[in-house]
Amino acid sequence: MRKSRSLLALCLLPICFSHSFSGETFNEELTIRGLPDGRVASRFEFSTLLHGATPRNPQNLSAEDNSQHYTLFPLALGQILREYAVTELHLTLNAGKWDYDRWGYPEEPDVATGASLWAWMAEGSAAAHGPTGRHSVDARWRDLRNALAGLFCASIASLDEQRTTSPARAFTPLGALPAWPQSPPHAFRHASLPSENVCTENLTPFLKLLPCKSRSGLAHLLNPHRLFDADWHGMGLHVSWRPEDGVQVRLTFQSVSDPLRTVTTRDWSLSSLFDRTIDRACPVAALSRVVVTLPMREPYSIHPEPSSNANGRGIFDLAGQPLPLDISMHWLEPFQHATIPAGQAPLSVRRMLRGSAQDHGALAVSIANAGPSPVRVVYLETLPWIVHLYLHTLELTVDGVPRADLLEDISYIAPVPHGRAATLEAVLTIPARSTLSLRFGVGRAFLRYTEHPPDAQRGSELPGAVVVLLPSGSGNKTQGAGWWVSTNKGALQRTQTQRQEQQQQRRIYTPALLVDPATPDFSMPYNVIIFTCTLVAFIFRTVFNGLTRRFAILNVPPVDGRLALQTHALSINKI
Amino acid sequence: MLVSFPHLLLFLFSWTWGILAATPSHEQIVGDFFNKNAPPGGSTSNHTNNWAVLVCSSRYWFNYRHMANALGMYRTVKRLGIPDSNIILMLADDAACNARNRFPGSVYANPGRGLDLYGDNIEVDYRGYEVTVENFIRVLTGRMEPSVPRSKRLLTDAHSNIFVYMTGHGGNEFLKFQDNEEISAFDIADAFEQMWQKKRYNEIFFMIDTCQANTMYSKFYSPNILATGSSKLDQNSYSYENDADLGISVIDRFTHYVLEFMEGINKTSHESMADLFASYDPEKIHSEPGVRSDLFRRPLSGVRITDFLGGVAQVEVGAGVAAATSGADETSAWDEEHVESTTAESPWRGTENTTSETGPGATKSPQWRGVRAWSGVLLLGALVGWVGWRKVVRTPVRTPELPSSLERAGASSRARPVNSSASSLSALLAFDSVDLRPPIFNVFIYFVLPHP
Repeated sequence: MRKSRSLLALCLLPICFSHSFSGETFNEELTIRGLPDGRVASRFEFSTLLHGATPRNPQNLSAEDNSQHYTLFPLALGQILREYAVTELHLTLNAGKWDYDRWGYPEEPDVATGASLWAWMAEGSAAAHGPTGRHSVDARWRDLRNALAGLFCASIASLDEQRTTSPARAFTPLGALPAWPQSPPHAFRHASLPSENVCTENLTPFLKLLPCKSRSGLAHLLNPHRLFDADWHGMGLHVSWRPEDGVQVRLTFQSVSDPLRTVTTRDWSLSSLFDRTIDRACPVAALSRVVVTLPMREPYSIHPEPSSNANGRGIFDLAGQPLPLDISMHWLEPFQHATIPAGQAPLSVRRMLRGSAQDHGALAVSIANAGPSPVRVVYLETLPWIVHLYLHTLELTVDGVPRADLLEDISYIAPVPHGRAATLEAVLTIPARSTLSLRFGVGRAFLRYTEHPPDAQRGSELPGAVVVLLPSGSGNKTQGAGWWVSTNKGALQRTQTQRQEQQQQRRIYTPALLVDPATPDFSMPYNVIIFTCTLVAFIFRTVFNGLTRRFAILNVPPVDGRLALQTHALSINKI
Repeated sequence: MLVSFPHLLLFLFSWTWGILAATPSHEQIVGDFFNKNAPPGGSTSNHTNNWAVLVCSSRYWFNYRHMANALGMYRTVKRLGIPDSNIILMLADDAACNARNRFPGSVYANPGRGLDLYGDNIEVDYRGYEVTVENFIRVLTGRMEPSVPRSKRLLTDAHSNIFVYMTGHGGNEFLKFQDNEEISAFDIADAFEQMWQKKRYNEIFFMIDTCQANTMYSKFYSPNILATGSSKLDQNSYSYENDADLGISVIDRFTHYVLEFMEGINKTSHESMADLFASYDPEKIHSEPGVRSDLFRRPLSGVRITDFLGGVAQVEVGAGVAAATSGADETSAWDEEHVESTTAESPWRGTENTTSETGPGATKSPQWRGVRAWSGVLLLGALVGWVGWRKVVRTPVRTPELPSSLERAGASSRARPVNSSASSLSALLAFDSVDLRPPIFNVFIYFVLPHP
């Protein structure tokens, strides 16, 4: 009896440990939402929480770090975070353009095209290695880029100083920033690469960071052949620290699939979206569930029946569902393409580059507010130096009427040619039911021969602008403006309500723009070299011959009785 | 004193003989141990790790076939046992997730689209704009920023066999990178020479599929390089076949036929480079492939395909094993002895039964040494037995345990035949555990063991 009891205890031991591996919790969730235009947005979220962990203080970078023993937390990422003392880190790799007007807000707010990386890091100890030493923020930012480029097989390493900016308002930390004694406030670095491709080689390392890889649980659905066929897809990595919980790593994957591409009904199922079903639950996941947003007004049928319903959402808990699980949604009425309601998002932003000249043009932005109340936003423009703004040409108009009063606060960091990108941040107010138009004159730089990309004729991509909605109301006005700067000073023990406000603060990304700089004839250097060499050879020969040879007329004795006078060039060394 | 002087003399004589018989150095012994199962006609390579550098230098969708070339090689080297960490894959464009690809996330090298080369598990180390001549030379020569991660480095040493595959558009002594810059035959030759001087390779197998490819290896001058190309000077390399659904050529002819040959090879295959080169058919390839082996020191028939395209399980026995085990400052020696225990199977596994008796002269001397060592032990055993027997005759006690304990001592020494002096010692020491120990052995131990 005793033996069997101890055996039972031994068998139960892994189960006891499975849900909290000595202070680590792994949750996974799949959210599926039908979009108004018949497409289906799905969002995978895998979050690992390391209880009680704190970010590394960069002042102690010279000292030996604690050894890292993780069970669920990805070690490859943990090593990078500790090595470079990164407090908060966000990386997104998206492909395509998120259509806010048709799809509304995404579940994951960061949908900038291409690769984006932003991080908060504190300054390292300057005593050991100096302000530009390898513990400085800039050196660690460079090393972080390199490390993540190796981890995610992406070209993040090319997010160099020419693409790095530090906007002060548009980005706020998701978690808290620890206030270490004798440490300056955290510095923020942001860089984006809109031309980055996202493909299977990025998904492979993404899956390797998950405790169950893609073998079981929700991650089994991440089938590259279907995901990269989607109309929009993007993956994200978000690391943040919350003092009461610990360090959290969230890995997200979002996609927008179109069931209407091949058939006329918008019915979907897991097998039609991903070509796979959930065969096994991830045994180490504390929470593993699928949340399906159920239609409000239309008749539908869903199979199997959700475990529970809440707020119009059906929740399938993998623990209580028979596996394999293949959720399928069926609409009883046919889809009407014309029923897309306009204005899924409160703001609609358009941005374009105007002018056909190769050295100047104009950047035009229009922000439409369809709502009944004015909206305050932070407008962020980060431009690589190949396009530079003329700030004095800034025009603000609402329906053709100049409205300079709508511009509250503007900060501009000018670009340095061949060195630094420009940052423009402005707080704008968009009146109710009107469209605000911004217009800048821009100049296009003339690039050096070697600065052109290999496909120079295609042009370079400008990162999209970011529009951040500020919470309305006068009380939050000052908080919105200098939000994260003030929190840095105040030890950052934010309350839960503040954080909820923060999460409600939405960012809208505009699509990337293609700018075609003046391209030279790339065979020109070779032509120049050939022509120059010919000219040099010609001149040299003339001069050299003139100096070393003497030309004289030579009388040749008559041949065959005839007197012949022949001219010969006789070359003798000049004495 | 129980023991007489002649006994002691006899013992000392046999003991010293045993020691003399066991003179072979540690390296020799360990080397013999690891080589005893080496197949007689097998690989003559002595590398300890394998690396692959696969470069597709062409951008744009219409160069799909070049991506497929490199990915076909990627699949082959991965299948033959080189792990992703030892493969540097450079793809100048993204064919798999290109908007023009009807089959997203897939790259096919056959018109029927039978085999997806991109698969679910791929790691591209350099892609897009990162595929430049500079980065390629940096990968080869190892001159990188300190923060460049390991996955982007060619971490080879003097015992690495490297497979370098390049494809793209080229010409007489150059290969274009992304239609923007060129690498010349001299650049690669100099990079290889620098690698040789920096002890970054043991042998290199260079394969290139481009127009006038054979000119690309004509400038090599560093040792231990085997090179092959798809076409000679003034010859083009041609694509193999179109896929109607993709609307594009999917692979080049030379690479297609090389991959077709490779499909018949697995990790334990004994096919040699000579077999591969013999399989080239200019009629099928539509160009004349070339081979350059004058820099290569081994005969091609003894060079296995898996010496370059497969993972290995060979152990290098360093010069200072004993020193490395004791000295903390000998970490570099340990690094060199790093055993690449990859997913590969041992190349000699298939021939394990054909053991060393077929070996000529080389295997004779260890056997002779073994005979000498064993006879020393036997002589010692006989001596001990005789003394013990005399003791037993004089004072009759429980006798039967002695032979069995002797047998045990013999067994313990047989288990470690490589160190016969130590084993003869352990044969003596093994008596410590025997209850019934004649006092004579105290004297033996007194003489044999070093005094503290």
